[in-house]
Amino acid sequence: MSRAGLTSMTKIEVVVNGDDVPAIGDVLTTCGASGYTVLSGVSGLGHHGFHQGRLHFNDRDALRMVLTVVDDDRSDAVIGALRAFLDERPGVLFASETFVSRPDYFA
Amino acid sequence: MTSLPEEHARLPEEHARLPEEHARLRVDIASAARLVAPLWPVERFIAVNPLMGLVDQGFGPAAAEAGRWFGAQGYPARSLLREAYRAGRVDGRDLRQALVEHGADPEWSTELLDGPDPSVARPPRTAVERADERDHTDLATRVDTEVARWCALLVSDHGLPFAPAGASAYATWRRLVPGDRRLRRIGSTTALRGLPEDPADAVLQALDSLGVAPAARTAELRGQLARLPGWAGYARWCDEWADPEDPAPRLGLLDLLAIRLSIDALVGPLGSAFGTESVEPDNEGRPSPAGEAAMALTALEGGFRRRLLGRLDRPEDGLTGPVAAQGVFCIDARSEGLRRHLESVGPYETLGFAGFFAVPLRFRAIGSTEAYPSAPVLLQPTTEVGEVAITGAEDQVQRAVRADWRRADLSSTAESVAHGPLSMFALAEAAGWVLGPRALARTLRPGTRGPSDGPRTRVTVGAGDDEGFSLEERALIAETALRTMGLTRAFAPIVLLCGHRSTTTANPHAAALDCGACGGNRGGPNARAAVAILNDPAVRAELAARGIAIPETTWFVAGEHDTTTDQVVVLDRDQVPADQRERVEALVADLRIAGERQAAARLGRLPGAGVGRSRGEVQARAGDWAQTRPEWGLAGNAAFVVAPRTRTRGVDLEGRCFLHSYDPVHDEEGTALETILTAPMVVAHWINAQYYFSTVDPEVLGAGDKVLHNPVPGVGVLLGAGGDLRAGLPRQSVMDGDRPYHEPLRLLTVVEAPIERIDAVIARNPVLQQLFDGEWVHLVALDGTTGTWSRRGPDGAWHTEPTVSANEATQPEEILT
Repeated sequence: MSRAGLTSMTKIEVVVNGDDVPAIGDVLTTCGASGYTVLSGVSGLGHHGFHQGRLHFNDRDALRMVLTVVDDDRSDAVIGALRAFLDERPGVLFASETFVSRPDYFA
Repeated sequence: MTSLPEEHARLPEEHARLPEEHARLRVDIASAARLVAPLWPVERFIAVNPLMGLVDQGFGPAAAEAGRWFGAQGYPARSLLREAYRAGRVDGRDLRQALVEHGADPEWSTELLDGPDPSVARPPRTAVERADERDHTDLATRVDTEVARWCALLVSDHGLPFAPAGASAYATWRRLVPGDRRLRRIGSTTALRGLPEDPADAVLQALDSLGVAPAARTAELRGQLARLPGWAGYARWCDEWADPEDPAPRLGLLDLLAIRLSIDALVGPLGSAFGTESVEPDNEGRPSPAGEAAMALTALEGGFRRRLLGRLDRPEDGLTGPVAAQGVFCIDARSEGLRRHLESVGPYETLGFAGFFAVPLRFRAIGSTEAYPSAPVLLQPTTEVGEVAITGAEDQVQRAVRADWRRADLSSTAESVAHGPLSMFALAEAAGWVLGPRALARTLRPGTRGPSDGPRTRVTVGAGDDEGFSLEERALIAETALRTMGLTRAFAPIVLLCGHRSTTTANPHAAALDCGACGGNRGGPNARAAVAILNDPAVRAELAARGIAIPETTWFVAGEHDTTTDQVVVLDRDQVPADQRERVEALVADLRIAGERQAAARLGRLPGAGVGRSRGEVQARAGDWAQTRPEWGLAGNAAFVVAPRTRTRGVDLEGRCFLHSYDPVHDEEGTALETILTAPMVVAHWINAQYYFSTVDPEVLGAGDKVLHNPVPGVGVLLGAGGDLRAGLPRQSVMDGDRPYHEPLRLLTVVEAPIERIDAVIARNPVLQQLFDGEWVHLVALDGTTGTWSRRGPDGAWHTEPTVSANEATQPEEILT
């Protein structure tokens, strides 16, 4: 896979309860993330058993994934704050290196 | 107040902190805020569990937390158990069973009946409270007064003539507060001239000033929010629940904490403030008072469960012969009586379903440019559905809209003048001679106008409209609704979808009586939308392809039940096909009879109501602006029954049960059951918990005495001239004088379905595990094939539930009284 011309950044994905998405969004923007994506309908088998992804009449109690990309300077702040959040709330965090074509979108 | 010197607006750079610190603060605030429940603007009142943020702890620990942080009682007074025992609603079996379940000596029944209520020991929660305790001062109370006063001003359209447009609450406050001389009573106000521009910096600066260590920060923030839980709840709603387009005034949690802590910090250095820990009293081997209170609650719940199951443990009661119409009513406990009476009038079948009828929409009424969400608050509807004139009625509708606008203009002008800081006094002088006689007439002869036909309109659900839902979405809505309620065959010629509303006058909590499934709004628009979808031939073709064949001879009609007057209006009657009109008119006539019977039954329970004047009496209550109890609302609610109507038909459940129709035979995968338990039941639990806590502690967890309520327009009510925003239900909604009218019991969910199916649904939904394992909701299952009743314990194990057969069950009137 060619990564020539792409810029290395940090991708952070968090899977949390729908109820916690506003707080996660607050943390991300406070740390300087220029945006984030929320994916609904996240289902699967986890630490507490199987989680139903989509409920007909309840958006708040289904799992969601919040995804953001930040430059490396900001990643420590984001990861530190999210880890503190997840000390008290159910959820998982993934951080990984990623490559983007438009780094100014994430600055 | 005056405008401030220019230099104050400059950013004090030295206060700015690193993003990491701000982010950690956000995390701490989110953690602290879980203590308080979100509080919706009162005109869209939503009943919620006031301890919903503590749900993961389980009921007992959460009740203890409510005592620790709010000074609230979490359990009913023991006198309720004694009263129930004397009345025979709880007997020796219930007492012994409760003691055994809590691991206590079953011979302690007498002690359980006579034991004292637990005292609530609330230790100091904030640095200033600890200083107050040490120095015997009341600084924290004085800070409360000032913060609450500022909150009311900041959310008021009329209170801040010099407020910068579009600024956050904190920015406005920061600009104006240096002129507030009242704060000098708390401490030196010099620091208020150099507050940081960023509220997060202000919070961090104040925490430093108060000597709060990082490890104690969340507890301090939680204590700060617990001092004014009403304003904190409103701020939480603004941050986490408010639609970005919502016009309600904003006050975020960060704003509130920045204001509150900055005023706290005026107190000055606190030195080595210290706290005390509450100590459980030694009970000489007996359970603690809180433990006994938990047993007493279990005994009360056991008595209710025994009597309810005794009444349901009977042969199924179905309608034989042709069905004239089917009526689908909201699961709201107030529908139960109307359904029962309608079934007694003629050959009708009724069903229960969430009153938004599976159509999550944003409704834009005719003549309005703004849409509001009309769906359970668990959903965020994005599809706008409007109300437009039907073809040929445009002129009539236009005239009606103009008349409405004129009335609204007058009303808006009067409102604006009445709430203006200066004009309110002039209004009484200038217009009193006009308005006075009208007010006198309304006082002497309260009443409401009867339902009128109104302009001839339809709702734009999508078929041939520029807005609304796509065909695929409409078909999915229709299929979900029909399958979830178990109505997939044997359609009657007429199917009524009946939403509900309430009519009250001068009642800030009016929305608490409207439809919770419609977000605290009237249910008519959703019923009309669902009917438009289900009568659409294209939707019916899609449904047929999915195995649901609605006969061409079946016509859906929308209705609206006014729960205060028990009048039912069938909407859009002019759109009913000619060959169905006779049937619809017959239904209308029978609904009138059912409503009269329901009104008469309700009147017997309303204090101060006369006998034999049912319709006039309820009309008068609805229109009486001095009436603090126009209806009992959902007081008495205690159970959520998920079963075919044949299980409950003919049983007088006295408006104590939410009834959701369910067909266990055609839901082998548990899809419908999962929908019912994860949404309608969650909403029912919120309502039940709101009534429960407003009853066990009406002053702390309820809204207090309605007579003293002072509205903050667009936001909520205060008790008297100031103080905290009041959450929960008014005393008059749950108490009859000093005695609870509402029996505070945790929700009992009764499901007719195989245990394996129920377990599978619970296993894949953590929200259900929290509610059932945490004993917020109790669960009983009936296996329809074997007739076995089983109760699920908090450990997930099922135990066969002994029931009393119908013949031995107590009489209907003994269920409640």
